[in-house]
Amino acid sequence: VKLFRDDPHALSGAYAVDAIDDVMERDRFERHLHRCQQCSSEVKGLTETATRLAYNVSRPPPVLMRDRVLVAVSQTRQLPPIVDKRTEDRPKRSRPWWRLWTGAPYVLAMASVVALIVILVGQASTDRQLDQANARIAALNSVLSASDSRAKTTTAADGTRATVVYSLHRHALVFTSHGLRPLPSGKVYQLWLIGKRIRSGGLLKEGPAENSRPVLAEGLLPGDVVGLTVEPAGGTKQPTMNPFIVIKLPA
Amino acid sequence: MDAHDMRPAGTGPGLPEGKDRDLDRLLSLVARGDEEAFATVYDRLAGPVYGLIRRVLRNPAQSEEVAQEVLLDVWRTASRFDPDRGSAATWVMTIAHRRAVDRVRSATAAAEREQRTAQPYATVDDVAETVEASLEKERVRRCLAGLTELQRESITLAYYGGYSYREVSALLGSTLGTIKTRIRDGLIRMRDCMGVSW
Repeated sequence: VKLFRDDPHALSGAYAVDAIDDVMERDRFERHLHRCQQCSSEVKGLTETATRLAYNVSRPPPVLMRDRVLVAVSQTRQLPPIVDKRTEDRPKRSRPWWRLWTGAPYVLAMASVVALIVILVGQASTDRQLDQANARIAALNSVLSASDSRAKTTTAADGTRATVVYSLHRHALVFTSHGLRPLPSGKVYQLWLIGKRIRSGGLLKEGPAENSRPVLAEGLLPGDVVGLTVEPAGGTKQPTMNPFIVIKLPA
Repeated sequence: MDAHDMRPAGTGPGLPEGKDRDLDRLLSLVARGDEEAFATVYDRLAGPVYGLIRRVLRNPAQSEEVAQEVLLDVWRTASRFDPDRGSAATWVMTIAHRRAVDRVRSATAAAEREQRTAQPYATVDDVAETVEASLEKERVRRCLAGLTELQRESITLAYYGGYSYREVSALLGSTLGTIKTRIRDGLIRMRDCMGVSW
């Protein structure tokens, strides 16, 4: 048995309420959980207890959230179950469910982009709008579904959250944001691809709630930095200020 | 009423009565792509999911965004739910809490953290509570009241506040060892007080 400086069992409570922020400490405790039947059953009970605390602060969600989620669900593919067919080559057991969350911010970012697109389709009212929306979505999808697509998310100091899903094969990216402040008339948010040259990535349009409509920017090069600035209506050829949202893409 | 909605009498709207096997069954339907079953799961869990995230994050817009991500994730990953490891409600609430805490802890969220204490938050929708939910809440309140002050504060700051036990220890001026222990023995006392059977 590996020796801990402290009694590892004492961490079961903190673990059950996600109060271990040190990744190594958490990993170590999770490894311990695999070996310690008593600990994992204690964690189970304490996690169930925490669930009661969650129900205790239940409150009605925003009314529109239901439709948004249900529409997103109708257009989101589900993950297949984890099948244990490789047990012989790989003695390690599949990841327990309480560890699933450590994965894939990428998948999440994708999900929120997909959800947003779904909302936009829902809003198109006439056939023509629908055709246009569909063409847009086809273009957006070609980036989102590219085999090499990756996502990066950043949160600006003012709380604005920006997500970029990019594909270097497609030389394109999809930019979305949440929480951007509305601009006075005569001003617009403009997206930039910043490398050896600075190219405009397009203008942002307001979307539902505080979301901006997804912008498809073409001509992406490896190592580009994605930036967002405020520019005069209609946009400019070159940015007139330093970007306040910056997402650096890998070279 | 929805065909999927067959929760046993006596349990409140979506309350986790011990082993809420009905919700487990619904999730296995969801895993097979049953959207109707998902809608029922949504109706049972969206309140607790949103409420918990809102409690941790405070900011309504952010909370809604995270709650939507969580619920969509329940749909996407339903096949990964394993009833042997815990109840469906707990599986979902674990995802919700971790996602909220993730949001709090992400390095770039430092500024948001400053803000969230200042965020005004509406209380209008607090009113809409069902009787059963109130009874359950009363029980949780009673059990919380049975803890020592340090246990209660530690658990509340960690779970509702989204603080790590290190942060809790700094906030309460107690050693790390004490806080770890208080969170654990406090939760154990809560578990026994509420008769959680796992």
